[in-house]
Amino acid sequence: MANKGWDEFEIGAMLRSFDGSIDDIAGTAQVDRTYSPSSSYTASVADWRLVKPVFNKDYCIDCQFCWIYCPDVSIIARDKKMIGVDMDHCKGCGICVEVCPTNPKSLLMFPEQAEEEAEIASWPAKDEEK
Amino acid sequence: MSEMKKIKNLKEFSTSADRFEGANLLCPGCAHSIIVREVLNATNDDLVLSATTGCLEVCTAVYPYTSWDASWIHIGFENGSTAVAGAEAMYKALKNKGRLKQPDRNPKFVSFAGDGASYDIGFQWISGCMERGHNMMHVVLDNEVYANTGGQRSSSTPIGASATTSPAGRVSYGEKKNKKDMVSIMASHNIPYSAQVSPNKWKDMVKKIQHGMAVEGPVFINAVSPCTTEWKFDPKDTMMLADLATDSLVFPLYEIIDGHELNITYRPKNVVPVEEYLAAQGRFKHLFKDEYKHLIKEWQERVDANWSYLQRREEARV
Amino acid sequence: MAFDKMELKDIEVWDGNFAAAQALRQCQIDVVAAYPITPSTPIVEGYAKFLADNYIEGEFVMVESEHAAMSGCIGAAAAGGRVATATSSQGFALMVETLYQASGMRLPIVLNVVNRALAAPLNVNGDHSDMYLGRDSGWIQFDAFSPQGAYDLNFIAFRVCEDHGIRLPCMVHQDGFMTSHTAQGVETLSDDVAYNFVGDYKPMNDMLDFEHPVTHGVQTEEDWHFEHKARQHNDLMTKVFPKIEEVFADFEKLTGRKYNLVEEYDMKDADVAVVCMGTSVETAREVATEMRAKGIKAGVVGIRVIRPFPFMQIAQALKDIKAVATLDRSAPGGTVGMLFNEIAGSMYNLEKRPMLCGKIYGLGGRDLTKAHLVELYTELQANVDAGKITTPLQQFIGVRGPKLSFL
Repeated sequence: MANKGWDEFEIGAMLRSFDGSIDDIAGTAQVDRTYSPSSSYTASVADWRLVKPVFNKDYCIDCQFCWIYCPDVSIIARDKKMIGVDMDHCKGCGICVEVCPTNPKSLLMFPEQAEEEAEIASWPAKDEEK
Repeated sequence: MSEMKKIKNLKEFSTSADRFEGANLLCPGCAHSIIVREVLNATNDDLVLSATTGCLEVCTAVYPYTSWDASWIHIGFENGSTAVAGAEAMYKALKNKGRLKQPDRNPKFVSFAGDGASYDIGFQWISGCMERGHNMMHVVLDNEVYANTGGQRSSSTPIGASATTSPAGRVSYGEKKNKKDMVSIMASHNIPYSAQVSPNKWKDMVKKIQHGMAVEGPVFINAVSPCTTEWKFDPKDTMMLADLATDSLVFPLYEIIDGHELNITYRPKNVVPVEEYLAAQGRFKHLFKDEYKHLIKEWQERVDANWSYLQRREEARV
Repeated sequence: MAFDKMELKDIEVWDGNFAAAQALRQCQIDVVAAYPITPSTPIVEGYAKFLADNYIEGEFVMVESEHAAMSGCIGAAAAGGRVATATSSQGFALMVETLYQASGMRLPIVLNVVNRALAAPLNVNGDHSDMYLGRDSGWIQFDAFSPQGAYDLNFIAFRVCEDHGIRLPCMVHQDGFMTSHTAQGVETLSDDVAYNFVGDYKPMNDMLDFEHPVTHGVQTEEDWHFEHKARQHNDLMTKVFPKIEEVFADFEKLTGRKYNLVEEYDMKDADVAVVCMGTSVETAREVATEMRAKGIKAGVVGIRVIRPFPFMQIAQALKDIKAVATLDRSAPGGTVGMLFNEIAGSMYNLEKRPMLCGKIYGLGGRDLTKAHLVELYTELQANVDAGKITTPLQQFIGVRGPKLSFL
């Protein structure tokens, strides 16, 4: 939201989450909601990251540990499947990697500039000691 | 009453549509938002929320952005509980008068607050809300420190933690007083439900939140919230710290029903030594110097004694 | 469950507290969150009793402090309904933090302030210390001079502050004990007429509208805070007076009782005038009339609306006056009284500036007697006759010991 003048916003510094009316918020997936420009959903913290998670679906068992423990609502789950990371909202904390139980892990942290495809191509093998 | 949301397993839970948004300004790895997500996702009912001044508030409602997909209010540092209580009173009044816009809804009233805002400055307000019997839930995001103002001790800060106002130094091991037992204090208001939760034990959390939302009357929840910034650990290790907290029994998980019936809800298979919990955090680093090692032993004794006390309370069925 | 109406006589003998409580009943307040303090307690006790007797439907939340009282009112108002409470003195002081939050969030709460001194030393009697403490809090503030005013101004307050073009909280002040506990004849409105005057509460940005979630009480830093405060001030300065005047006019049509932003008494041809608030206005009016019999052309300016301050209206009222005294009923704490300052500011750019001096009086409930006012008017006339101020600018009235004056 652009920096508005004093006469250009709603009184009381009140913010709306959605544009217009929304009937069943808890029953409406984020992608199907009409967020207002005031929702932080429309913002990005991608520039906070120094490292980023890369998701390798080949090893994922859809346990959803990463979904439940992600502080930033950045694990995209659809129909009980993990389908990727929301890179606008991920701050790169690395919790998802730590809680991933697969061997090898289905999520690993790489420098922000890393090429995702290249990293997936050279994904580590199963750790036999675990 | 509305139907309780069915959450058999994590896969099923993951179909929840979050009502808390990313691109908030909380630190990477902050446990607050993990706890908030677990609480909000435990129900599909409408929500009226508050937060007191603190990390959660200053990071999720910074104009012109809000991270909340339910009605939310912040007033001050001490009075988020009372804000929600006022809203709940209005809900009752309008319901009786037939003036609700959506009369078929079954909203839940939840206030979030840090330990400073709950144990210290907001203590009286919360006590008032609990005593008056509002149909609401107060959730403490207990990181045992004033994190938002930069790490000062609160009455939740445990012995030996180095905080900026109780720093460890050449002649001090940091905080000298142990944290107060808020779960029992609140239970002593004879409220229908009070409990301690931890975000790593999400199933226990969801069960307790759902129970708390189903009962009529005030509910108090104390959630341990490992703080990457003030506990001084790597952001990726937040859940490891939560695991250490619950499995060392530093944060035992239990509930108190109707002010007296105590149930322990999690018994770790392998209890972790408290030393491991302390060693994982920079705020306790100084305790590992020779002159303070006795404090680690005392920590363990205190945790053991508390665990034994909880077990005795549970067995007594008083 | 329907509630019962109450039959009122055309004129009831009520004190200011009961008059305010009756007004809250007739406005059908949805939520009152309150904490007891002398002398305002009977207002909320009245609401509680009306509730207990089924003369009203609503929720009375008896909280554990005044801070919590206003916090609860803020939560209730943000939820979306009619909200009121009452307090005094130390309770008001404890509320101050939340007063700013209520106005910043633009929540139309009505707070009855039964004015009382601030400790130390502790004192339960009337002065305007609490009123002055809240003067920059961004609330609309009315001052009642009598139980009738306390009754009428509550209806007016709700009409003004709940208007969607206004949405600012509103205080109705009355003097502790002198008004709050002094029974007088109060002309009443029937329940239906009173409620219809105020009208149904119309929610705005209400938290209980689950199809339009709202976030109240955000953080704004240097990039936004100024604009929000500017907006709030703009609305106070430009929107409130027209609305108040509209509501005053409607109220006069309904009741015949006329209220004005500035209540002028015998000001048209006056040479000397006092500016005051609360019960002192009525005393000053009586004395002014007596002074006229003695050949001193005396007038009185009573301030009905303290915030927003009727700066231009005051200037208009005082522009042809020769000498003016302000009566401040609050310890000024190292400067001139608030009224002295405000009046000085409003007169400063007048072509012909009246002489101005300030009196501090009535602290902790000390009586302002007619003799005090006779002396004051006489002194003002002496200044007029001398063509200059012959006394110190600030004088204490009615305090024991050597005469106390400054500046």
